Amino acid sequence: MVERIDGDALRVIRDAGMGSANPPSCVTRHPLRISSGEPDFVRRVEELSGEAVFACYQCGKCSAGCTFTSGMDLLPAEVMRLLQLGDERVLKSVSPWVCASCLACEVRCPKGVDIAKVMEALRLLDLRKGETGLRWREIPPGVPQIALVGATRKLTP
Amino acid sequence: MPNEAVPKSAKASASPQTSHITRYAVPYFPGCALKDQAVGFERSARAALLRLGWELKELPRWNCCGTVYSLSTDDLMRHVAPVRNFIRVQEMGEERFVALCAMCYNTLKRSARFVAADLGRLSRINAFMDEEPDYRGGVEVLHLLQFLRDEIGFEEIESRVEKPLYGLKVAPYYGCMLLRPREVGIDHPDAPETMELLFEHLGAEAVNSPHKVECCGAYQTVANPGVVRERVREIVGAVARRDADLIVTSCPLCTYNLERHQLSITGEEKTRHGIPILYFTQLLGFALGVPEGELGLGGAAIDPRPALSQLVGG
Ligand code: SF4
Ligand code: SF4
Repeated sequence: MVERIDGDALRVIRDAGMGSANPPSCVTRHPLRISSGEPDFVRRVEELSGEAVFACYQCGKCSAGCTFTSGMDLLPAEVMRLLQLGDERVLKSVSPWVCASCLACEVRCPKGVDIAKVMEALRLLDLRKGETGLRWREIPPGVPQIALVGATRKLTP
Repeated sequence: MPNEAVPKSAKASASPQTSHITRYAVPYFPGCALKDQAVGFERSARAALLRLGWELKELPRWNCCGTVYSLSTDDLMRHVAPVRNFIRVQEMGEERFVALCAMCYNTLKRSARFVAADLGRLSRINAFMDEEPDYRGGVEVLHLLQFLRDEIGFEEIESRVEKPLYGLKVAPYYGCMLLRPREVGIDHPDAPETMELLFEHLGAEAVNSPHKVECCGAYQTVANPGVVRERVREIVGAVARRDADLIVTSCPLCTYNLERHQLSITGEEKTRHGIPILYFTQLLGFALGVPEGELGLGGAAIDPRPALSQLVGG
């Protein structure tokens, strides 16, 4: 017969584990924030993404579920941590450029952080200075329009 | 319930399926890929829906939705393209439409919610598009799978099956855009079952596909093809080990990645050894008895016809 995981059973288990029946709303005020201590780029990332980086409590669930970590230098949770610490090394990370905006992290974060938006904000810091994440000469031949439009909108200014 | 009964259109009576009377029509947004790389998706959808008594009415003067949804807070410009399409729906006197491509569905649906959440945004977009009538809001975006499940109904579809897919092992591949984020997903983000139910109603066996909700790499196929290839190896490998005959998707980009990178792994241009990728509408149309020529199966890099003809041959 069908080798299929029973949807409802899985649903119950998954919901119990993740609280996904009641996804948390993003927390906006954080006692953990070091007032006035953080650099401008952290504030800018929060503005661009609409997400609160100090909402993250470093559970690592986003890193565990991300299927692109083999190409990343920082795991998604590490990106969040360096932002919290105001560590500029996050600005040099390739991780936001490898992220495919797949939202696996977004649906699983128990704190309601949309990490894909944080990744996009980090890309925008560069893109809005005119930098590009696409090496035009290295684009594989024959890629369809849907891929080119998607990549151009995510990886170029 | 169908909200509009239309007389049998000239188009339907001119089509080969004169015995299948078109009773209803629903507006539909094709998107760019369905006019070029994924013509079989559109052809098979139209033909299958006609068999079910529905005509897909293409939006007049539709434009590209933008493919990917903008994740920044301050970029209203990225919502102009979706809103322009909603205006087309409004001009048709309609309140909803279906999309076929999962990426279009996601981008359009999220933009609809984005402008509905804040009327200030909408009025700025309307002011910017001063050559267009104002978008008044309220257009509902549906994915065709959702429409088949909730409006036509899988039971009804089963009753129209002419060639049951007995013995065919089909692996669903949802990818990201039908399921995430939760607010626009057509099913549970981690444990969806819409496609499995459809396959079973068509007589096929749904193969457990452990990576069915994981990303194929999407547009990273342009910038980081190596990472995408690894994803495809895992996704396809897992269903190959479960003897899947076919993988079914609802996204032209998933289809491209799953086909192209399978070929680059096996190192062949056209291969008989890979697992063919079909759109769900092609599988549906086949089961409903749509002639093969109308399903657009010939364009696939990995030919699905051997798997399907085996079936007909018994
Ligand atoms: S899943 Fe959310 S809370 Fe957990 S590490 Fe990632 S961002 Fe932080
Ligand atoms: S959205 Fe980006 S960071 Fe999050 S899981 Fe997907 S690829 Fe990883």
